[in-house]
Amino acid sequence: MSNITSNITTSQTIGPFSHEAWQWGVDACTPDRLETSAPTIVITGVIHDGSGAPINDAQIEAWTPGAAAAAEASHPVPGFRRVPSGAAGEFSLRVSVPQAPHVQAQGEPVMYVTVFARGLVKHQFTAVFLEDDAGLAQSAILNQVPEARRDTLIARKTGDGRYRWDIWMQSEKETVFFDYV
Amino acid sequence: MKFDAIESGIYPDLIYPAYKATVLRGPSQAPLRIKAAVPVEQNIVPAPRILLPHDADLTAHGAEGGEPLGEKIVVTGRVVDEDGKPVRNSLIEVWQCNAAGRYRHKRDQHNAPLDPNFNGWGKMLTDDDGRYRFVTIKPGPYPWGNHDKAWRPAHIHFSLFGNVYAQRLVTQMYFPNDPLFAFDPIFNSVTDEAARDRLISRFSLEHTVGDQMLGYEFDIVLRGRGATPMGL
Repeated sequence: MSNITSNITTSQTIGPFSHEAWQWGVDACTPDRLETSAPTIVITGVIHDGSGAPINDAQIEAWTPGAAAAAEASHPVPGFRRVPSGAAGEFSLRVSVPQAPHVQAQGEPVMYVTVFARGLVKHQFTAVFLEDDAGLAQSAILNQVPEARRDTLIARKTGDGRYRWDIWMQSEKETVFFDYV
Repeated sequence: MKFDAIESGIYPDLIYPAYKATVLRGPSQAPLRIKAAVPVEQNIVPAPRILLPHDADLTAHGAEGGEPLGEKIVVTGRVVDEDGKPVRNSLIEVWQCNAAGRYRHKRDQHNAPLDPNFNGWGKMLTDDDGRYRFVTIKPGPYPWGNHDKAWRPAHIHFSLFGNVYAQRLVTQMYFPNDPLFAFDPIFNSVTDEAARDRLISRFSLEHTVGDQMLGYEFDIVLRGRGATPMGL
């Protein structure tokens, strides 16, 4: 261990008892309180552990900077969402999309996502993209992800303005988690 | 900002079998190091109105208008990046159990009393020197069922947003000389001893307030170097 030089403060699990302390952030972005000048889409999913069981005490944060955040200028934290997973591991994220995915064509994540949970000793960064974003093939982020695992970051369209994206902490479906350089 | 790779042992082991819940919840693959401009250059921007009166005084939330039971303390420290530059105007959330070891949370079934005058959560911004400060009650240890006689050392949870998105950190602050350190798999999931020790606050006579409360100091170093002069 003598070669260790970094003096950063290390991570510890969020534990099971964050909900009350984190609730202000949840309240700030509930869909019925969201004021946005942009059209919105909804991404729903389930967070799973390595056995496939739902994780019912995770906290999921999601963030869309730029034009999406600008459309929510009156929001307490523009472009930001915080959602605790439900009893069946479910979560739902309503996202401002100033430009429709098929014209957005940038290959940018529709949301940067951070996952916290009891039993997760360090938060995990990931990102979600929309399958009908015409820019996916040119995505600077996706092109750094091994091709076989890119699907783990892509939300599938299930209806008009509705998408499905699950988070898997382990298994052959394990979501790609990032460490930003 | 730039984010160097972190040497093995500083972050906790994502799968650390002594902490049973990690076995199925910790990712099995190492995180993928990628370049992405937004997370290392930008951040969420909370509106100042999110901060409410008394958010930084956890002893002032009493439903009955009274003082909570327990040992009143003040916790303060500086948040800096890996260059030692202050992380300014940055949101911190804290939460903890009460002096008896009980969280105000529907899932906490520990047979210890709730305190009507203590909720156990707050939030604040760092100042121009990266400093934060809040007043609270020293939390108690509590059992958690991970194994026989599993008791958590007393701790306060911290959630930090940093100045750029990639600096996000959730951690726990401990108190000096806790006899439970050696037996706690959450604390020991960090295998580097120096990194563990940096989670332990220091008693501070300087920050002790007269005959009102003892002071504890907990400095935090977030990842990242090469911040712009604006701090962003």
